[in-house]
Amino acid sequence: MDKPSDTLAKRITDRLVKNGLFTEAAANKAQALIASGKMSPEDWRLPIELATDKEECDS
Amino acid sequence: MSTPALRKLSIAHLRGSVAPFSLPFENNKKLTVVYGENGTGKSTICDAFEFLGKGRVGSLENRGLGRPHKYWPSLGKNSSDVSVTLETVDGATCSATLIKSDVVINPEGNRPSIEVLRRSQILALVEAKPGERYNAISRFIDVSGIETSENNLRQLIQSLTKNRDVAVARVQENEDSITQFWTTAGKPGADALAWAKIEAHRDPNAADAETAALASIQLAYTNLLGYPTQLEEAIRDLNTANLKDDDARIALENCATSVAADAKEVVKILESAKDYYLAHPSPHACPLCESSENATGLGARIDQKLGNFSAIQTANSNLTQAANALQRAAQQMEQLNKNYEKSRTAFEDSRKALPVAEDIRPCATSCPTEINQLGSWLEQTADLPAAWKTAETNRQDSTRFLATLKQALETYLHNVDAQKELDALIPNLEKAHEIVIEERQKFTDLILSNIATEVGRLYEAVHPGEGLNKISLELDPKKRASLEIGASFCGTTGTPPQAYFSESHLDTLGLCVFLALAALDEPAESILILDDVLASVDEPHVERLIEMLYVEARRFRHCVITTHYRPWKQKLRWGWLQNGQCQFIELSKWTNTQGLTLIQSVPDAERLRILLAESPPDPQLVCAKAGVILEASLTFLSQLYECSVPHRSTNLYTLGDLLPSIKGKLRNALSVEVLISAGDGGSTHQPTALGPILDELQRIAQARNVFGCHFNSLSFELLETDAIGFGQQTLMLIDALADPVAGWPKNKKSGRYWANAGETRRLHPLLAPQ
Repeated sequence: MDKPSDTLAKRITDRLVKNGLFTEAAANKAQALIASGKMSPEDWRLPIELATDKEECDS
Repeated sequence: MSTPALRKLSIAHLRGSVAPFSLPFENNKKLTVVYGENGTGKSTICDAFEFLGKGRVGSLENRGLGRPHKYWPSLGKNSSDVSVTLETVDGATCSATLIKSDVVINPEGNRPSIEVLRRSQILALVEAKPGERYNAISRFIDVSGIETSENNLRQLIQSLTKNRDVAVARVQENEDSITQFWTTAGKPGADALAWAKIEAHRDPNAADAETAALASIQLAYTNLLGYPTQLEEAIRDLNTANLKDDDARIALENCATSVAADAKEVVKILESAKDYYLAHPSPHACPLCESSENATGLGARIDQKLGNFSAIQTANSNLTQAANALQRAAQQMEQLNKNYEKSRTAFEDSRKALPVAEDIRPCATSCPTEINQLGSWLEQTADLPAAWKTAETNRQDSTRFLATLKQALETYLHNVDAQKELDALIPNLEKAHEIVIEERQKFTDLILSNIATEVGRLYEAVHPGEGLNKISLELDPKKRASLEIGASFCGTTGTPPQAYFSESHLDTLGLCVFLALAALDEPAESILILDDVLASVDEPHVERLIEMLYVEARRFRHCVITTHYRPWKQKLRWGWLQNGQCQFIELSKWTNTQGLTLIQSVPDAERLRILLAESPPDPQLVCAKAGVILEASLTFLSQLYECSVPHRSTNLYTLGDLLPSIKGKLRNALSVEVLISAGDGGSTHQPTALGPILDELQRIAQARNVFGCHFNSLSFELLETDAIGFGQQTLMLIDALADPVAGWPKNKKSGRYWANAGETRRLHPLLAPQ
């Protein structure tokens, strides 16, 4: 059985992708880090910055 | 892949198993009820499962024994004697042995998942402190990793918000500085920023070239300033040299005239001769006349002669010096003119290169070619260098200003970019943070809600309609890892059950919480052990609790329930409980030589069948057993249809009371549809009328007393076939009424008949006909 943190991390990253805050690739990378508590402030910043930039470029 | 069913548990020298003990498990039965009086070894069986699955023996913990592992072996046995082996239907085994205090599992991969709840622990979750309660369920809701990551995100937002505030302040400062520059510059253009951007785009080299040109003309002008003085000095030196030369010439003339007409030439000859004699100190002859006569001492005589002409020599030397000085002065004048020409040319170049600007005064006249005109020209242009200096300083100030303005504008734009970037980023980080919080809360709330709902469902099954099923589990938002439990009581929800529930209700609640939690963690792979958990449950609820356990046990790999609740044994014996999936095992009295031993219990109907199958059957035994079974059957029917029997204070009824109570239309209408398996794998219900059986039983009912209960000489006269017939009719009745696996038909949900589980028996009618 998956640990609760693993299950929750998957739900969180799915919603972040759905809201355009993470790309799919970034979400896949971040999932284990979020679950294990190793998602540092910079780990949070980079994917959201990239996704924001991408959104700005696309719009 | 499903986990294989259990075949056998073998225990050697663990706790009460002083001798090796085996507990066999029946095929297709996932529930094993181990019945035994106190001290028969029920807990040893639970200990064995826990020893194997968890490497501990919970029944010895918290009893003030220190390190309890030394009490794990049976009295007089060593650690190395202890072993527990679980065998599954696929032939696989898993063994646990004890090496000193370490439990060794072999193979580890086959180790079963075990969940144990003991009587002593049943209230642990309900009565525990909120923190301890949280610990018990933390493995299902522990998302501390997520919380750490969430906290890192929060810190990032706080840090970037501070950065943004700083960026905003800096932008304001930069704006103020630029506005100040703009104001200083006289507020040109539309606004300060627009002006600053235009200014910053100005070519700084343009001002540099003007500054260089101004510096160059100033230098060239300065170079010219020294020439008038130098010219004066040069003229003075030349004039002096001319005068000295004239004087020396006149002095020489005068001296020569006074000495001899040709003295001048003679002195020259003598000086030449002296030079010769210095090179040839001892000549043999005169170099002029070649006469050797008077050659000796000629040098000395020349010196003497020349001495006579020293005045002429001095005058001659002075003339030479004066001539040289005159020559030098002339050369200096010539050099001065050349230098002036260079300086003048340089100035003219600078003058021509001087940029045209409002604040740059041009030099209207050329620098004179003649050096002697320079002085007056310099007087005419004397105010120009100061004007040029002012213009140069202005340009230098302007360049510095531009550089400062440019730097201020760059800093401003950089900070504006940083602010814009943060303005775009921070809301997205905050949105991500909200998502993490929302999902975390939703996740834990959902799990807790599911657990609470499940607890409520189980509780309602045991306490139907009591309104106590609204169980809530809530994390205290103010305290980390703190779980509150609440229940509804007299219409008030969220009350702590410990405060209002009876001991028995709390026990049931504790059991329901345990079952709900155990079912969360892949129950199909878990063996559930409930050690004597029915002890304090009151009689009205215990049957429903047992039914609930029957149902819930199906979700687990296997469920072992130990109990000393005697009615359970009797109800199973009489088929009053569904025992299709239940294996009933009874433990006999424990002894210090044999340890745990099993009693092979056979249901009474099966005993009757065995007695009838004996050859020849014993009428007394048959009638005795059949009488008890018939009483049970008639009690069931008379209670079901509310038949009239004599009202006695003892509530004890004989066959003579019960058989006639089922009479008339009811007796005629009674029939049972028995589910029969067909050969093709299907099944069909075959009806059996009970009226004829009851009629025949009523006819020969005296056989029960005559043969089965008393020594009676009447039995000598009765046919033994009546006794055997009594047994056979009773067996037909019980076979028709009760399924040894699915029990009695007590359920009227169909609305047409009474049925047992799986409807292997359908008893008609639903109501006694009037």
